[in-house]
Parts: sequence; structure tokens; C-alpha cells
Amino acid sequence: MINIWRLTKLQLLSSFGLNKALHTKDPAERRKALLLSIAMIAGILMIGFVSYGYSLMMAKTFEQLGRLDLLLAVMMTVTSLVGFFTTVYKASGVLFSYKDYDMIMSLPVKTSHVVASRVLQLYVMNLFFTLLVMLPAGAVYALLVKPGVLFYLFFLMTLLFISLLPIIAATIVGSLISWVSSRFRASRMLSILFTFVFMIALMLGSFMINGEEQQLTDVGEGLGKMIFKLYPLASVYVDAVCSYRVPALILFIAVSVLAFVLFSTVLATRYKAIHTGLMTSRAGRKYTMKPLQESSVFKALYLKELRRYFSSANYVLNTGVGMVLLLLMSVSLLFVSSEKLGTILAIPQLSEYLNTFSPLVVSLFVILSCTTSSSISLEGNHLWILTSSPVSKQVIILSKVAVNLTITLPVIAVSSVLFVVTLETGWTESLLLLVIPVIYACYSAMLGVIVNLKLPKLEWTSEVAVIKQSAAVLVSMVIGVLTLAVPVMLFLLIEQLNGDLLMLIYGVIIAAVCAGMYRYIQTHGERLFARL
Amino acid sequence: MLRIQHFTKSYKGGRKAVDDLSLVVEPGDIYGFIGHNGAGKTTTIRAVVGVLDFEEGEIEIDGISVKADPLACKAKLAYIPDNPDLYDHLTGIQYLNFIGDLFHVSKAERERLIGKYSDDFQITANLGDMISSYSHGMKQKLAIISALIHEPKLLVLDEPFVGLDPKAAHTLKTIMTDLCSKGSAIFFSTHVLDTAEKLCNKIAIIKDGRLITHGKTEVVRGEHSLEDVFMELIDND
Repeated sequence: MINIWRLTKLQLLSSFGLNKALHTKDPAERRKALLLSIAMIAGILMIGFVSYGYSLMMAKTFEQLGRLDLLLAVMMTVTSLVGFFTTVYKASGVLFSYKDYDMIMSLPVKTSHVVASRVLQLYVMNLFFTLLVMLPAGAVYALLVKPGVLFYLFFLMTLLFISLLPIIAATIVGSLISWVSSRFRASRMLSILFTFVFMIALMLGSFMINGEEQQLTDVGEGLGKMIFKLYPLASVYVDAVCSYRVPALILFIAVSVLAFVLFSTVLATRYKAIHTGLMTSRAGRKYTMKPLQESSVFKALYLKELRRYFSSANYVLNTGVGMVLLLLMSVSLLFVSSEKLGTILAIPQLSEYLNTFSPLVVSLFVILSCTTSSSISLEGNHLWILTSSPVSKQVIILSKVAVNLTITLPVIAVSSVLFVVTLETGWTESLLLLVIPVIYACYSAMLGVIVNLKLPKLEWTSEVAVIKQSAAVLVSMVIGVLTLAVPVMLFLLIEQLNGDLLMLIYGVIIAAVCAGMYRYIQTHGERLFARL
Repeated sequence: MLRIQHFTKSYKGGRKAVDDLSLVVEPGDIYGFIGHNGAGKTTTIRAVVGVLDFEEGEIEIDGISVKADPLACKAKLAYIPDNPDLYDHLTGIQYLNFIGDLFHVSKAERERLIGKYSDDFQITANLGDMISSYSHGMKQKLAIISALIHEPKLLVLDEPFVGLDPKAAHTLKTIMTDLCSKGSAIFFSTHVLDTAEKLCNKIAIIKDGRLITHGKTEVVRGEHSLEDVFMELIDND
């Protein structure tokens, strides 16, 4: 057991530049780490505060229905489902794709313990989200219900196990996808494809469950049934925490722990075979010299970067999921009206919001699809090839921006047109819907690469540590989302504000920021690269 | 071809990795750079090829300052690090073509030189495979070919013989001699003193960041073997 903890600790130390921050002697690095820590704590507090407010708002509704227990059930289901969805597409990367595989596997440690440590890494990554949702929800519940001591005891005991089962389930799916893909020649591309197909199928399936239950007349009862049908373990959880049923508590914890142990043991039997299948490429036929194609420096760098992108299932799944979801949403609007979609998603004003904020909704998915915020870090040990080549660093940077735009712009074009058709927007809204996301795509791509140049993480053993857990990805994501939140807040706070005018002015401002960033890359690109 | 004058590189905390190093590599030279682990060889090499920034001293490639015009310098040189990590997601031929594009090598030239050197290193049949499937030695060969396809005036190599099989090491030595006979220069670090003694016309020995001797191989060596001289200098300096 101690080995599981040792291996997990080893991985966690490399997350978010933790070990570097702890051991660096460079004052500038220390300052950077301190500032990042402060920003992260502020971010956590802010999200915690918002989460509390949201729980309170929901609790008022459940109070009227006389089902306050549903608050915990809903929040537990939400964290579990979010945990599941966000783990499915990174499970394969964390489990199988890491550089020190040979070193780790040569150690006198059981394979099941290695698997367990990889699953625990996923668990810890999700635990933060669980705590951010469940602690405020628990506080709201305690304030309103004033339960006995057993609630606090059972709540805290179950808190650490909530995300375990969804993660195991996601990891099973991820492993199965990897196992099936590893048997084919194009294993990586198939892995990407299967994961996306699975997620889309699951989302469509969950929408169908929602649709049926909306017709129930007893809202409280119906909602309860819907949640428990969506995630049966939520029922056991509510029984344990709200009704203090010890058998339910034991069942909840036992199911989670048993699933973890079973999964680690079973996967260990096929672990090496899956890894070998995924990581080995088949030798082609004997190569004979053929005529070669000459390209410009920019095109050569662009193609190299594009190949890099599609060669990594982690990279595509983590940054492409936004575009897939956007496409799915815009296509689904063809079949389900925005009013009905609002009813299904329990957001009654969705139709109104979509008409006003559709450019920002599209842009949100664009922000989630930033490939550049990890593109410099992903160069890792290969950086010498670029730094020792007679190529201006601005061209290198812009080739990375171009790849991000290649991923986002086609989907933006298709989705925006679909939005225009389904929402029947006026010509001003249509124009904004087409232009604003494009501006955001440029903004996100340039912001990502600049932040990554400022916060590089060139030493890593697993791509996931860069793509999901690096400071640059986190910072550019937060800045991107905040930039989107500003016009929304302005619109909600200032009454009688013309939405189109706001979008137009904001679009011009973001375009100006883009121009500024482009200029910054031109003037400072060389220096930023030299500091890597 | 390469002029290093009073080059000093200090790392954070003030420790000097290289202290006041000066040397000149002429066209046609095969210049061996010798020192124990951590002596400052790689730091010097990385500064020469424009990968490492430095504050004190001056480095010129073919009369051009690395600081003032790094791109012009990089266009004239080729560099192979001690452990060349190449793009695993590309095939060997894609990588070589990519380097050809970055160095503006004409289509005809790159086809000719890739064909020639990949035959010399017996790697042509593998050029269509992903680099991720290559052994360490094959990656080393590919890195060497990529360095040669733009016919550099200065070839800078960090431990080039590590990982090469005896045949490939022999091929590399032959290529190095050929290249220098055509007016190029080679500056390389090595721990293989025997190879340095036979191959290099000039030698520099570095210890704790300071150059302790340099010059023509026969002068540095004197009546002894290079190994004896190296051991004596390292132990007694």
C-alpha cells in the first residue's frame, strides 16, 4: 500500500509545478509561484462562494417542494457526472501514456499498485471539484435543516468517496477504449474517435432520460426519481447522509472501495499488453527515396505542429472536446427548439439567453479549445530543434496559433450558421454571431501561447501534466472565461442595455486586444523564446 | 570560423559554469573539446549554437556575432546535442524534410544529400517509419543526417559518438574528415580520448569552467598519450 502512495506522490509533485515551486532557489521563480498560489486560492474562494450561492438558490426551491435532501442528491450527481465526463477523455493518457513507464514498471512494485496510483492521480484531480461543490452544498443543507451530529460525521466520511466510483467507471471506459484501439493499426486516432462517440452517445442518452421525466406532475417526486435514475448511487448517498442509515453508508463506501480494488487488480492483468499496443507503431515497408516536397518555413512548422496535435490522443481529447460539444449543441438545436432545450436543461431563460449571448456561448467553447496554452510546454526536450534553427521565433509562435485556428474556425463557421438558422436571428445578431467567436478564437490562441511562453513547463513525464495540469493552461483558461464573463455581468447588472451594442463594442475591444497581442508577439517573441 | 572571446556564463546564484573562455576554430579544423562531467562543455556548446543566452564575452560564427544576428549564425551551423530528442510523431523522412525546409535546402540538394547520408548510415529503409520506433542509435544517425543536409560551415556536436555502433562511428569520422577537407569546421565535445587524439587536429581541455590548455593536438599531447595528459591536468591543476 505504501508503494501506491509513493507513486501517487511522485506524480502529484509534478502537477502544477508544485515541486519546482517548493525547491526553487530563484527569487523570480519563487515570486511567480507565490503569485500563482495567491491567484489559485482567490479563484478557489471565488468558485466556492459562487457554488455556495448556487446551492442556496437551489435549496430555496427544494425547500418549497419539501425535498431539501434533493439538494445534496443533485449536487452529488452533478459532481459525479462532471467527474465522469472529464475523466473519460483523460483516463487513457494518465493510465498509459507517460514517459517514465519503463522506469516505473521496472521497479519492484506490483502492477496493480502502479494502476492504483494512476487512478488515484485522477481521483485527486477530481477531488478539488467535489470539495468545491459538496462543501458549500453541505453547509447550506446544514444551515437550513439543522441536522444532528451524525449528518456531519456521515457527510465528511462520504465526501472522500463521492468521486471514486465515477472515476473508476470513466477509467473502465477509457481503458476499454484503449484496449480495443490498441488492437488496430491507427490506435491513437481510433482511441480519439471512440471516446468522442462514447461521450456523444452518453449525452444524448442522458437528454432522453431528462425528457421523459419532465412530464411527471409531482415535480419534487419527479425530480427525485429523475436524479436517482440518472445516478442510482445518489439514492444510497441521500439515505446515508440525510437519513443516517448505517447500512447505506457502509454500502456507499464499500461499493466505491471495492470498485477501486477490483479495477486495479483486473486492469493489472492486461496493463502491459494495452500499453505495448498503444505505444508501439508498426514498421512500414522498406523505404525507398522518393521525390520530396519543398515548403515555406511557416508551412513546415504549421504541418509539424498539426501532426503533433493529431498524434496525441490526450491533446485532441482535452482541447477538441469543446469543439465537439459546440457542434453537438448547434446540431441538436436543429431538432430541439431552444425553448425545449431550456426545459430539458432546467434553464427556463435559455432561449432568451441564447438569442442575446449566442456569440459568447460559441466563444465559451472556443476558449475551452485552446491548444496553444500547452503548445510550448509540449515541445519539452525537442525544444533544441527549434531554438537552434535559423527561424524567427515569431513564425514558430504564429504557426502554433494557426493550428489552433485550424481546429476552431471551421467548427465556429458551421455552428454559427446553424445557430443563425435555428435561432432565426436578425441580421445584426447574425453578423455578431459569425464575427465575435472568430475574434475570440484569435484572442484565445494568442493569449494561450503568450501565457505558455511566460509559464512554460518543459520538463514532464506525462503529456497530461502539461495539457491538463500546467499553470499556463489554468491561467489562460481563467483569463479567457473572465473575459467572457465581463459582458454577461454588464448585461445582467445594467438594465436596458442594448445587447447587440454591448456585443459590438466588446468585440471591437477584444479585436484591439488581439492586435496588441499580435504586436507583442512580433516585438517580444524572440526574447520570450530565448528565456525558455 | 568560430571565435569565442572571454565567454563567461554564470547561473542563478552566481556560480560560474564557464569562466573567461577564449578559443578559435579555423576552417578545416576538427576541434575536440574535452573535460570531465560538469566542466562546462555543454554550456559552451549551447552558447555557441545560440540556444543559451549569455551576458559576458563574444561569440562569432564566420565573423557574425551570435548575439547580434543569431539567425544568420544558425543558418551557417548545425548542432547535435548529446541526447538528441527528435519529434516522435514524425517519420524519419518527414523530419529530414522538415529540417530541409527550415534551412531552405533546395529540393534537388536535399534529395541528393538525404539519399547519400542515409545510405552511408544504412538507415534509408527505415526512413518511412515513425521516429518513436527508432532505437537510440538510429535517432542519433537521423540527427546527424539532419545536421549534414544543409552543408554547414560549422558543425557543433555534443558527444556525437555515444550510442553509435562501430560502423556508424567510423562513417561519422569519415564524413567529419571529408567535411573539413572542403573548408568546413567541426567543434565537438567527447569523453572518448582515443577518438579525439586520432581525429582532431586541435584540442581544448576544460576544467571547472576554465580552459586549462588548448592548441594543436600534437602540442597539447607532447610525448604522451592524450589520456595521460588529460589525467595529469585534471588531477594537478
